[in-house]
Amino acid sequence: MKVEQFSLDQLRTLLAGSGLRVKAGPFNLSIQTCLPSLTDQLYRMYSHYSLVDETEIAEFHVRIIPKHSIRRPFVRLIQFQVDGRAPFPPVPVEQALATLEWGINLVIAMRVNHLLLFHSAAVERNGHVLLLPAWPGSGKTTLCTALIHRGYRLFSDEFGLMDPQSGEFFPLPRLMPLKNQSIGVIRDYLPEAVLGPEIPGTLKGTVAHVRPPQESIERADETAKPRWIVFPKWSAGAALRLESLPQSEAFLLLATNAFNYEVLGETAFDAVTSLVRNCECRKLVYSDFDSALAALDELTDG
Amino acid sequence: MYWRLNSSLSSIRIKNWGGEFTVFQPESGKTHFLNEMGLQILTILDRSPATLETICKALSEYFSLQPDKDFPGQIAKTLHRFETLGLITRVKEHA
Repeated sequence: MKVEQFSLDQLRTLLAGSGLRVKAGPFNLSIQTCLPSLTDQLYRMYSHYSLVDETEIAEFHVRIIPKHSIRRPFVRLIQFQVDGRAPFPPVPVEQALATLEWGINLVIAMRVNHLLLFHSAAVERNGHVLLLPAWPGSGKTTLCTALIHRGYRLFSDEFGLMDPQSGEFFPLPRLMPLKNQSIGVIRDYLPEAVLGPEIPGTLKGTVAHVRPPQESIERADETAKPRWIVFPKWSAGAALRLESLPQSEAFLLLATNAFNYEVLGETAFDAVTSLVRNCECRKLVYSDFDSALAALDELTDG
Repeated sequence: MYWRLNSSLSSIRIKNWGGEFTVFQPESGKTHFLNEMGLQILTILDRSPATLETICKALSEYFSLQPDKDFPGQIAKTLHRFETLGLITRVKEHA
């Protein structure tokens, strides 16, 4: 069963009661909230997600709850909670969706240690994964959004989830937060993309989430092996460059970019070594989508 | 003063990337990035503790170098960096 098969009233009852239990790639999430505005947004943005079987356990239990502040009595605040704990301070109610999504990402980054977690977008084409590791601000979510609307399957805009033993990558197709100017850029370039509300005033400025394509969510159980690693960087006015990257440099960039490399120790050392040895490594500098997509299509055609 | 390796080279994981090396040290859980000169220093110290002078001489022979006056200073800097990383320790005497 999918979220879209509920009526809005049914979803509201579920979210306010025992929780909405949805599959997010290899994880099961339980979400609770009684906020009407957030319920409406989840109804639209989570419509393609499947519900978790009643027999399965949800790894992460998250809630968005109303919060009252003596210092800010006239501002409606909310707070994100995971297993009853609040890792973030309260924020205005308008930021509920962004806070929920960031909170879920934080929980995954902090708690998942059976997989190696790269801070990376990951998409699939021709049966293999293209990893796009990058630092915040490099435009990886924006590029990832363009790719998944041009024939690539979304694994994640935020996490490259690698099984260190098998080398397989797991899809984790979740909402993708575009920030500031990227919102207008994507609205112009991809009018067909489904975006959530613009949420101003967050720590990262204005945010609007992209809903993952239905096919990517429906195929979230299909893992794949990586074949290409491309470190992207958007640079205004730059001519396109897709250059080979020495494997030693790729190793260092990946090892320092992984959330839990040091936790996994030798396992991570072997996994990153194997990953780099088995992939073509490039760095990409671009300023427009058309040329970047053409270059990545050519790379992943083979 | 002598320098000695903290763990034998056989217990350290080393991957060769065409003349550059990633080194995983199980005891500390740290990964280090070395060039060929750096790895050769560890190889020399794996045979036995050595002084700066001995290390410089062995490196000169291995790489067929004619060391200039700055060479010992550069190697001393590398040794101090390795000490900071926990790869080697300075000792007063050859144990």
